[in-house]
Amino acid sequence: MGYLHMMNCFHIDNIKVVSVADRSKRALKKAEALGVKNIYTDYRDLLNSSNVLDAAIISLPNFLHLDSIQMALEAGLDVFVEKPMAKNVSEGQRIVELVEKSGNIFMVGHCMRFLDAVEKMKKSVEKGSIGKIEEITLEEIISGPFSQGKNPKPVPEWRLDLEKAGGGVLLDIGYHLIDLFRFFIGEGKLVYSRLDYKFNFPIEDEAIVILSSPVSSTKGIINVGYYQKTSFPEYNFRVILQGNAGFISSENMVPKNLYLYAIKEGIKNFTRRMIGKKIKPLSYTYYYEMYHKELEYFFECIRRDIEPSVSAIDGLETIKIIEESYNFSKKCEA
Amino acid sequence: MGELVSLIRTSNIEEIKNSIYKILNTINFNKAQVSSVTIKPNLCNYWPSSTGYTTDPMVVAGIIDIIRERYGKSIPMRIVESDASAMRTKYAFSALGYEKLSREKEVELFNLSKDRVVEREVKVNNRKINLKIPSSLLNTDLFINVPKLKIMRETHITCALKNIFGCIALPRKSIYHPYLHETIVGINKILCPNLTIVDGLVALGRCPVKLDLIMGSKDPFSIDWIASQIMGYNPSRIKILRIAIKEKLGDPAGIEICGDELNSFKSEFPKVSNSIPKLSWKIQLALINIYEKIVNDITPPELD
Repeated sequence: MGYLHMMNCFHIDNIKVVSVADRSKRALKKAEALGVKNIYTDYRDLLNSSNVLDAAIISLPNFLHLDSIQMALEAGLDVFVEKPMAKNVSEGQRIVELVEKSGNIFMVGHCMRFLDAVEKMKKSVEKGSIGKIEEITLEEIISGPFSQGKNPKPVPEWRLDLEKAGGGVLLDIGYHLIDLFRFFIGEGKLVYSRLDYKFNFPIEDEAIVILSSPVSSTKGIINVGYYQKTSFPEYNFRVILQGNAGFISSENMVPKNLYLYAIKEGIKNFTRRMIGKKIKPLSYTYYYEMYHKELEYFFECIRRDIEPSVSAIDGLETIKIIEESYNFSKKCEA
Repeated sequence: MGELVSLIRTSNIEEIKNSIYKILNTINFNKAQVSSVTIKPNLCNYWPSSTGYTTDPMVVAGIIDIIRERYGKSIPMRIVESDASAMRTKYAFSALGYEKLSREKEVELFNLSKDRVVEREVKVNNRKINLKIPSSLLNTDLFINVPKLKIMRETHITCALKNIFGCIALPRKSIYHPYLHETIVGINKILCPNLTIVDGLVALGRCPVKLDLIMGSKDPFSIDWIASQIMGYNPSRIKILRIAIKEKLGDPAGIEICGDELNSFKSEFPKVSNSIPKLSWKIQLALINIYEKIVNDITPPELD
């Protein structure tokens, strides 16, 4: 993800990537080739030399979030951090305190809010097109860390280590879906949760969570899993909003044929480039465009000095529901 | 000369052991004086046998029971696999039910990537290939290959011969991909399983399919010759098999089938034309590369 964020920065006006830290030599070579001046193998060295920086994008393993956020905020930087904001509630609370103390711009990468389909659904709901939402179904079943891209790599050890990762599919993917429940409905309260460990790893690979709104009768059913072999560009994700005057499904918003969509968007970008206009980065992939949009929004917040719509509180509230889900599930097993 | 290949339809899990029994009797497998046994399933990733990717531990369980009955309860037995580019054996053993099997059957699980390595040079198709061979595989009395029946973009079929490629100790086996066919034949020239039992209970073609097949032979080449026919290929057009014939690793003459009808399995296998996905994948990557260069857009991490 760090590499994708870096590449996205190169496509945002008036943003200059001056420093990159990564343990991967390959990633650092790429950064160097793209003209990044300061290259580090340790993020601490990068943040210690932060006098040349205005903002930091943190895309580190979960167990390093608190330390790196603290260093960046104390160095006076505005911070964008990948989700989950923290690996548990106590670290999340500490991050909220640090953000409040610093007064810096802070945003968590709740990228699904920037997905084209989700944005359209939100607008539609706000216009009242389906009446009052009574139920929301959120589902994402994918390969997760077991997916193999063009160059297969082993699952990073920390992702299968409960202590370092903080959790499995619920903290990784469920985090997005819980955030979407909050995005559409407002606050959420845990009603039920059930975890499964099909792969016998210390982290859960399947989770079903039921939420309810504390202020209305709206329920949310969240179903996430790492147990399905899917491959790019397939994406087994859907949100269905059931209102008392109709329903909206993300499946009706996503292009039916992603290949045709890629060709269409590719031609549009090609034309933009030919006539000297700005391209829409990653629009041809449909789903990946959200990562560019969220970063563009983060930098816009810095420019305009406004609080991002995804705050540290949003990160913390999401983690609270997840931690409660873990505890609920443990109690049921006992 | 080719060997006898036995095909047995096995529709329920209780029959697996009996099917393997029948196969061993039919192919006349009667190796004497065995003091150590090594079993190599296909655990290429973490996807369970129901997806068609990896060997069902129930098949390995059946083999263990029969071996114990034949050679004594205390015979040392190991289930082996090596790390791969995207797979770590310790996790695969746990995720795919082999840790449970090991506890139940009191069989050792062994990661070949942690073994002492012997460097061997092999010449295939006039190409010299250096291979890192786990030494324990050179010293086992009875080596049982338990592959899966499935298709693969690079080699069309992956079954008995390809599963032995998984014995190479090096995790990053992708370094052999530029001459994958030669490497597969090369490793099979060094490591020769005494017995191959194929898990075709769930096979993988265009999609997974319950084929209910257990197949066995003393000769991995003969297995692959028949397996390729089940998967809808003409075996004489499969590159690995052509190279294997040239290198005298196998001979289609004399291959015989016994047991259930090959055609009944063949008709159920979800065939795939490998050339179209292979070509379309290459075209997609090439188009994205050209597009990225001209438009200066970003490549998604999956394709980078």
